Amino acid sequence: MNKMIKILVIEDEKHIRTFITSVLTTQQYQVIPAVTGREGLSQAASQCPNLILLDLGLPDMDGMEIITQIRKWSSVPIIVISARIQEDDKVSALDAGADDYITKPFGNSELLARIRTALRHSNRLRGPLANRPYRSGGLIIDFEKHLVARDGQEIHLTQNEFKIVSLLAKNNGRVLLYDQLIEHIWGPYSENDNTILRVNMANIRRKLEPNPAEPIYIFTEIGVGYRMAEEDPT
Amino acid sequence: MRKYIWKLFTHFVNLISHTHTFHAHFSLLFTIGTTIAATLLTYLYHKINPSGAANIGLIYILTIMLISYHTDKYRYGILAAIISVFCINYLYTYPFYEFNFTMTGYPITFLVMYMISILSSATTFHMKDQARKIQEDEKLIMEAEKEKLRANLLRAISHDLRTPLTSMIGASSSYLENGDTLDPQDKTDLVQQIYEDANWLLHMVENLLSVTRITSNGVNVLKKSPEVIEEVLFDAVNTMRKRYPEFQVHVSVPEDLLVAPMDPLLIKQVILNLLENSWFHSNSKKPANCYLSSDEQQIYVHVRDYGNGIPKDKLEYIFDAVPSAPSSATDSRKGMGIGLSICKAIIRAHNGEIAVCNHTEGTEFYFSLPKEGMHFEQND
Repeated sequence: MNKMIKILVIEDEKHIRTFITSVLTTQQYQVIPAVTGREGLSQAASQCPNLILLDLGLPDMDGMEIITQIRKWSSVPIIVISARIQEDDKVSALDAGADDYITKPFGNSELLARIRTALRHSNRLRGPLANRPYRSGGLIIDFEKHLVARDGQEIHLTQNEFKIVSLLAKNNGRVLLYDQLIEHIWGPYSENDNTILRVNMANIRRKLEPNPAEPIYIFTEIGVGYRMAEEDPT
Repeated sequence: MRKYIWKLFTHFVNLISHTHTFHAHFSLLFTIGTTIAATLLTYLYHKINPSGAANIGLIYILTIMLISYHTDKYRYGILAAIISVFCINYLYTYPFYEFNFTMTGYPITFLVMYMISILSSATTFHMKDQARKIQEDEKLIMEAEKEKLRANLLRAISHDLRTPLTSMIGASSSYLENGDTLDPQDKTDLVQQIYEDANWLLHMVENLLSVTRITSNGVNVLKKSPEVIEEVLFDAVNTMRKRYPEFQVHVSVPEDLLVAPMDPLLIKQVILNLLENSWFHSNSKKPANCYLSSDEQQIYVHVRDYGNGIPKDKLEYIFDAVPSAPSSATDSRKGMGIGLSICKAIIRAHNGEIAVCNHTEGTEFYFSLPKEGMHFEQND
């Protein structure tokens, strides 16, 4: 079924492009390689890929510029590939409209998982199932009934805590930036201080996780934001 | 006469301004300025107290020493000495306002005066020169030491890098050359070996990279922000689990939220190094313990393993290890010498302390981070 899915890979380093192409091809994805930013942009327009893998360190164009350009006319999922030196770029790429990021070096399984998440996510938002409950392990979050339960036990969250958890759950598998969360919960004019978010997250961990010391539902990505465990396949 | 001197002077200034640097200008102007100032001073003094002629000579000698000290060439002291002698003769000795070196006693007086001026000028100049030389020598010695340290580090690093690279090249070339004759299990083993070595190299490079986040050209460039330490710990443990799927650790955190200013990526690197150490070097597959504690001023992160401990003689230098002398064959490949010294550098840059101690079973590494007046209220 993956045969129908086209993935555009914009990456200038030959070895990495080859390796990504071979991994994706074995999973039956259709790969469109692009070596430069310009080529990537024109391929994105002409081929209409289902997903774009974009290396931030391209020789001819700024990766950020490519994201903004594509976002002008398309909501195709974009996964950014960044090297470790570009820590700060990661955040600005997500801010510019990228869906997810993956840091070099990455394993095959991680790459494929991120691709699956991004594809599923873009389907979910459009589908009629956008509001179906989130399930992962023993955790159930019912958005309509405002209900969170783990192993059949209801968990009481404050208003803001529920807002945070449901936003993370609706975007499960994706990292949400500190600023995105703050803006969504406390509004765009709230203080630019993520202390209150950290405190709320600590409380959520203590309520939600079976063992707060070893979280299995909400993961921290230091310096970037939080990521909720992917929901169980239905 | 005055016109002539002025013309001569401007000519002289023009001449040197073409050939000399700013410093030479400064020296000459300083010489002339100071001499004029001394002359004015002595003139005033002479008007007030005409009998104090001995002091006038002293003031001039002081002037000459000042000039020798503040200029960079021998000649300015000599120039000042000549001017001084002529000034004294012209202004302060009989017959006044007239040059006369031939009166009885005058030749010796002025010759001796001239000699004293020259000698004190030379002594001052030498003294200054010596001080400068000592300073330069010290600088050279310091630089040589720095260079030695850098060379040692480079040697250690290249040793650590070369080992896995050699094994990678060996494994891949034997795969390429003998691919037809190897059985599938051998092939898998070779590729597995390359995979492991490449991963090890990567972590090494990440460690080295983190040093650039602490200092750049010797300047502390740490970017600190208040961070929740348990989140950093979770991130590190998660990364470990991704890297080594069999990795096991017991984590425990206190009820209270512990916050300290830090560069979270560097602290994560420290925790990663300590966890990796406990996993690979304790020679025990008993899961390590990782926990947080705190007091009024500090937050402590502990990593405790239940392996066979660290020999006492190594304990003392474990954070300063230069792994150029691998002691035990098993440890040399995955030598964490650089890793631990980088941990120490990171924690020191945060004004914290890192330490190690042996328990009856296993080893405990722990480090502290100052809270630095961070206050937090936990809301519910």
